[in-house]
Amino acid sequence: MCSNMATEKQDPGHIAPQGFTDRALDSAVTLTCWVWFIFGFLFFFSWAYLAAAVLAKNPEIHFQRLNYHFFRIFFRVVSTTAPRQKFHIDDKIAAIRSSVVVCNHLSYLDPLLLIALFPRQKTIVKPRFFGTPIFGWMIKKSGYLPASSEGHFSRMMIEQMETMGSYLKAGGNLFIFPEGTRSRDGKIGNLNRGALKIARMCKTPLYVLQLHNTDKLFTPGKFLFNSRIHNDISIKIIDHINPDYRYNPPSTTQLEQQVRQAFSANQM
Amino acid sequence: MTKVDIQDKILAILTEDFEFEKPGLDDNLRDDHGFDSIDAIELLGKIELTILGFSLTREEKEKAMGIRTINDIVAYIEDIKHSRSK
Repeated sequence: MCSNMATEKQDPGHIAPQGFTDRALDSAVTLTCWVWFIFGFLFFFSWAYLAAAVLAKNPEIHFQRLNYHFFRIFFRVVSTTAPRQKFHIDDKIAAIRSSVVVCNHLSYLDPLLLIALFPRQKTIVKPRFFGTPIFGWMIKKSGYLPASSEGHFSRMMIEQMETMGSYLKAGGNLFIFPEGTRSRDGKIGNLNRGALKIARMCKTPLYVLQLHNTDKLFTPGKFLFNSRIHNDISIKIIDHINPDYRYNPPSTTQLEQQVRQAFSANQM
Repeated sequence: MTKVDIQDKILAILTEDFEFEKPGLDDNLRDDHGFDSIDAIELLGKIELTILGFSLTREEKEKAMGIRTINDIVAYIEDIKHSRSK
C-alpha cells in the first residue's frame, strides 16, 4: 500500500481531455484489475484458501490474512497501472487493533481498501453476497457477518456475535460503513447504529475514519475505472473514541452523536 | 418469577439499556423502537444473566430472532423456563 506519496501540482479530480486513448487506458486498467481478481485468485490464492479451509484449526484467521494480502496486491496493481492515482494512507491506521472502525462509504473500492489495511478484519456484508458461488463461501469462512438475521442468517449472526468479543480482544478489527450504502454526493447519510451497538456490547474503542476520492477512481454506476484523472485517494483517522465503559458507559445515541460530530467537523 | 415480574424486568432493561421511550407491550420492536438483531443478541445475554440464570442454547437463541413484541419476549422466556423445568 502506498503511503504519503509525492503530491502532484495538478488539482485532484482534474479530468484530462477524453478521447479514444483515454477510454482505452481506463479499459486496460480495469481489465488488469479484473485479471488479478480472477487469475490472481485462481493461480496464486485459491490453493491457499483451500488449504486453510481443510487443514487450519481456525480457518477464519487464515482467510482474513489471505484477504489482506490479496487486496494489498490488488492495490499495488491499481497504483502501478494507474499512476495518476496517489494513495495517502495515515500510517497510524495500520496500527489499529481490537477496535470497531467506522468509515464513510463512497465506492465499492472502500471495503477492499480497508481489508488491505487490517490483517485481522471482519465486516458486515449484504446478505445476497453470501449466496454467490466461491465469494459467498469465502466471506463466510472469513467470519464476516450478514447484514440480516432473517431465516438461515440468524444462526450465522448468532455464531459471529457470540465470538465477537473474544475476536476483538485478540486484536481483530470490525470495520463497518454505518451509512450502509455508498454516498452519491459525498455527504454523510443516516448512520446505522449496528457498529456502535457492537462496540458498546463488546466494550471496544471506536475509530472514525474518513475516506476521500475512491469514488473518483471507481464511480458508483460506472463499470470502468476512471484512471485518467489526477486523483488523491486518502484515508485518515478523524476520531478515536475510547469510552469509559466501566464507570461511565455511553449510550448508543451518545456514540452516534460523537461519530456524526466527527464526520460533520471533517466534511469537505 | 411471575409473568408480571418478567414483564417489569424486560421493560426496565429496554428502558435503561436500550433507550426505549414509553414502550408498549404490543409495539413492533423493530419499527417502533429501531430494535435490531444486534440488540436482540444483547438482550438475550441480559435475559440469561438477570432473569433465567442459565445460558441459552443456540437453537433457543435462534427462536428469539423472530420475536416482534415485548409480549413475545415474555412468552418466549416463559416457554424456555417451562421447557427447562421438565
